[in-house]
Amino acid sequence: MKKQKAVIGLEMHCELKSNSKVFSGARNSYNETPNANIAPVDMAFPGTLPVVNKKCVADALKMSMALNCTQPEYMYFDRKNYYYPDLPKGYQITQMESPVGINGHIEIEVGDKLVPVDIHDIHLEEDAASLDHYFDTSTIDYNRAGVPLLELVTEPCLHSAEEAVAFLEHMRDVYKYCDVSEADTKKGQIRCDVNISIMDEDATEFGTRVEVKNVNSFGGVYDAINYEIKRQSALKEAGRYNEVEQETRRWDEESGTTIHMRSKVDAIDYKYFVEPNLPKFKITKEWLEELRKEIPRLHLERKYDYINNYGLSNYDATILVKEKNVADYFEECLNLGIDAKVASNWITTQVLGYTNKYEVNIQDIYLTPKRLKDLTDLIKDGTISSKQAKEIFFKVIEEAKEVKEFISKDNAQISDKEELTKIIEEIINNNLNQVNEYRNGKTNLFDYFVGQVMKNTRGKANPVLTKEILNDKLKG
Amino acid sequence: MGKFTKEMVDDYADKLLIGLTPEENKMVLDEFEAIDKSIDVINEIPNISEVIPMTHALDDFAFELREDIAEESIPIDEALRNAGGVEGREIEVPKVVD
Amino acid sequence: MYMEKSISELHDLLKSGKATSKELIKESLVKSHEVQEKYNAFVTICDDAKDTPVTDELVSGIPFGVKDNYSTKDVLSTGSSNTLKNYVPFYTATVVEKLFNKGAVMVNKTVLDEFGMGGTGTTGHTGIVKNPWDPKRMCAGSSAGSACAVAAGVYPYALGSDTGDSIRKPAAFCGIVGYKPTYGMLSRYGLFPFASSLDHCGVLTRSVGDAAIVVDAMKGKDSHDMTSWDSSNINLTKSLTGEVKGKKLFYIKEIANIDNYPHASKELREHLENFHHILDKFRNLGVEIDEVSIDQTLLNAIPAVYVVLSCAEATSNMSNLTGIIFGPRGKSDKITEMMKEHRTNGFSPLIKRRFVIGSYILQKENQERYFKNAARVRRLIVDKMKELFKTYDGLILPVSSGPAKYFNEGDDAIDENTNVLEEHLQIGNFGGFPSITIPDGFINNLPVGINITGNCYDDANVLNLAYALEGTMNYKGQIAKEVE
Repeated sequence: MKKQKAVIGLEMHCELKSNSKVFSGARNSYNETPNANIAPVDMAFPGTLPVVNKKCVADALKMSMALNCTQPEYMYFDRKNYYYPDLPKGYQITQMESPVGINGHIEIEVGDKLVPVDIHDIHLEEDAASLDHYFDTSTIDYNRAGVPLLELVTEPCLHSAEEAVAFLEHMRDVYKYCDVSEADTKKGQIRCDVNISIMDEDATEFGTRVEVKNVNSFGGVYDAINYEIKRQSALKEAGRYNEVEQETRRWDEESGTTIHMRSKVDAIDYKYFVEPNLPKFKITKEWLEELRKEIPRLHLERKYDYINNYGLSNYDATILVKEKNVADYFEECLNLGIDAKVASNWITTQVLGYTNKYEVNIQDIYLTPKRLKDLTDLIKDGTISSKQAKEIFFKVIEEAKEVKEFISKDNAQISDKEELTKIIEEIINNNLNQVNEYRNGKTNLFDYFVGQVMKNTRGKANPVLTKEILNDKLKG
Repeated sequence: MGKFTKEMVDDYADKLLIGLTPEENKMVLDEFEAIDKSIDVINEIPNISEVIPMTHALDDFAFELREDIAEESIPIDEALRNAGGVEGREIEVPKVVD
Repeated sequence: MYMEKSISELHDLLKSGKATSKELIKESLVKSHEVQEKYNAFVTICDDAKDTPVTDELVSGIPFGVKDNYSTKDVLSTGSSNTLKNYVPFYTATVVEKLFNKGAVMVNKTVLDEFGMGGTGTTGHTGIVKNPWDPKRMCAGSSAGSACAVAAGVYPYALGSDTGDSIRKPAAFCGIVGYKPTYGMLSRYGLFPFASSLDHCGVLTRSVGDAAIVVDAMKGKDSHDMTSWDSSNINLTKSLTGEVKGKKLFYIKEIANIDNYPHASKELREHLENFHHILDKFRNLGVEIDEVSIDQTLLNAIPAVYVVLSCAEATSNMSNLTGIIFGPRGKSDKITEMMKEHRTNGFSPLIKRRFVIGSYILQKENQERYFKNAARVRRLIVDKMKELFKTYDGLILPVSSGPAKYFNEGDDAIDENTNVLEEHLQIGNFGGFPSITIPDGFINNLPVGINITGNCYDDANVLNLAYALEGTMNYKGQIAKEVE
């Protein structure tokens, strides 16, 4: 059999952050108490009507622009009609004909390569209610009904489980950067459908496409894709590719397999048509420009900026851009004039070490970029040592005081050349044996002398100056 | 004719979660034939496919989207008072299986 | 009889203390029971209706009726369907709420064709509504109960809804006024939907003046209905000056010219002759009325466009009726069967048929031919009208082909003979146009009506034209008397 190539398309649903639901005024937040976040239209009481939430549209448009999609002149909604007990109206309000974005494209990082991904469309829609199942009954909670969802559909342009997961992770970060979603898979805020087919590597025609529905973790997406590639390839290898059916399957987390749901012939016709209760909404250029300004610089762009223009390592840059708050903190440090590498070192080790340990937000710690600047300036001009700076770092945060409060005569570094020279000369005079050994080639004794100086000054000697004077004096 | 059959009518009805008697099935077919003939009239209108379908009664008025302000939830007793099956704060139905 | 008077007459009586709200309500309830006995116009009679203080609001203290497809808090609201035969809403429709806030008193909920789908008043789950002029005849529909009750003098006005002609045709058959304002002038929040892009709220009254008063009291932008708009600059009541000199109207030659009907029945001939006779009266007021010819193909398409669009939207709009959250439960212990049982037993045969057709029309492979093309022709028809409204203040046409029909005459099966004369009022729904029917005479001792339809947002002009025309005739405020 020829070498096979996988062709993968993703449908990624992500819950948006907002005060109220997308088509009703009910609260949009997770609530343990069932049916505590409900408006009449969420339960489809006769005569109720949907009303579009402006913030949800704004956030959807921001994402559309972030994905380099084309925005429509008029946005409207469509009904997707089907019967299911979790769908109170008997249809879902979604966007089919005129979504917030079409024909987008982005680049994602897979390993150390940049991979282009084409976006078919991105659209705003509503979530369904949630069902709980018991022995012979189910119960329905409408808290989730009407929660805003953004559905993003890629072209079938991905070729491995790694790429698919990298795309999802990339998008999760984009959603978080733009602050439109918590994008937390653990809370079920991201759900995926995956389309997978295989084809000969040199073929031009796609193979038979299988859709795997309701994969709710990135790990699940990874495993489901690999399972399907293996399943389809095995059938093809065995000469039974005709048994690969255009069908919808379901990912079964427990068994780690996909299970047949329905065949193409049983595909539901959703009878889409334009939602008449929501008028066509003109998206003005002015509004788009306003929204565009609210889109922050995204993580990948920042990362390459840090590497290429500030000389950071890929490793450090990756850590810095992982969260927008951290990257913003770093960039403020740069704006204040802290050397990029110095700032990066402080943030990736000390600052993040602290925020991770105490689970606090980098934006909330007392050591602001301005105070970090004060601290690093003192190291630079030799007032304090790095070791002292680390101690002061904690004190600033814990005691919420300015850096200068911790610089006293008592702990200031000895950077006075004359004073240090005096101390060093005294040490040399008291250790003449070691001086001789050093001069006879036992150069590793240098550290011994540094140690003596530090001991003598209780660590306050400026290490650079110390080394300089020692070098000079030991030469003899 | 023959493009809409008795079997199709039953299939459509079934998907709409509706049962039809044989008489009702026949009436659908008869009515449909009439509609289909009048649709033929529509399809004869020249350049019809170039017209933008009119999906709303008005498409010339300015309106605003709703500000993102959360409102109080419906009182639970009111939300559930018309339901034929309730368990605690939820609607109860026979078990839903995929 | 108080309830045979107009709103402003009643308001004066209440204001001057010559009558009390309590007395009006009592009379209205007694009359409701009589009318229910004779014509079956109501789903619910609110015997516990309470009087309200009389204020400067014209509608305060005065009884009125509400079509049973409006959601009314704590009062049974069925849409005249078995699917909602036990449904008691916890919220009130915006327009009804506005009337409540102004002190109006709801005394009953009126029968309609199930969910407004139908034009006979015979498909409601509580039985057929009879015409108060002749109980062997229908009121037309779907606002049958409202038209019957207003005509019979139960109260000065009742709310209706209009998707094809459901206010304006029963008004004609019952000899009263039926008005649906421009789409979105009245909020639809709380109106059980039939076909959302065609559904209008409106009112049935016995005079144009009362229609203006009631709509003034109900109109306004509603944050719950995105298709509603701000009409605070419009005051219909104050627009009724009767000054119409120099106004221009047109009628459609293909519909209203007698020469088009070589085999016309005596009734139809009389109806059209009367129409032209009334036009002459109107001309005497200084109104210019032209005959305009419109492409017959477009006109012939009206009924099909209506059926296609309304069935499609209705199929979807009524998908929430599964018996899960409201409505009688199916008994099956299988969820799908349970929903199916609710729908099969709950809907009348007419509705079920239309759902199947609507579903076929929306099917992916059929959408282009049926649904989209119908929506395209809708635009062509509306564009044609809007073009004419640049020249004319309104379109004037006779309603239906004559007076109310016998029950056995027509059913709602959509047969090929459905003609443009019967269905042309649907134009008003296609374009969301303001449209009003007023009585314009009698044929065989039964009332007939005439309709004026104008451009969107031009309600004041349309109503004033109807008001002036009403003044040339003697049918204002008439109460139905059974004829034999």
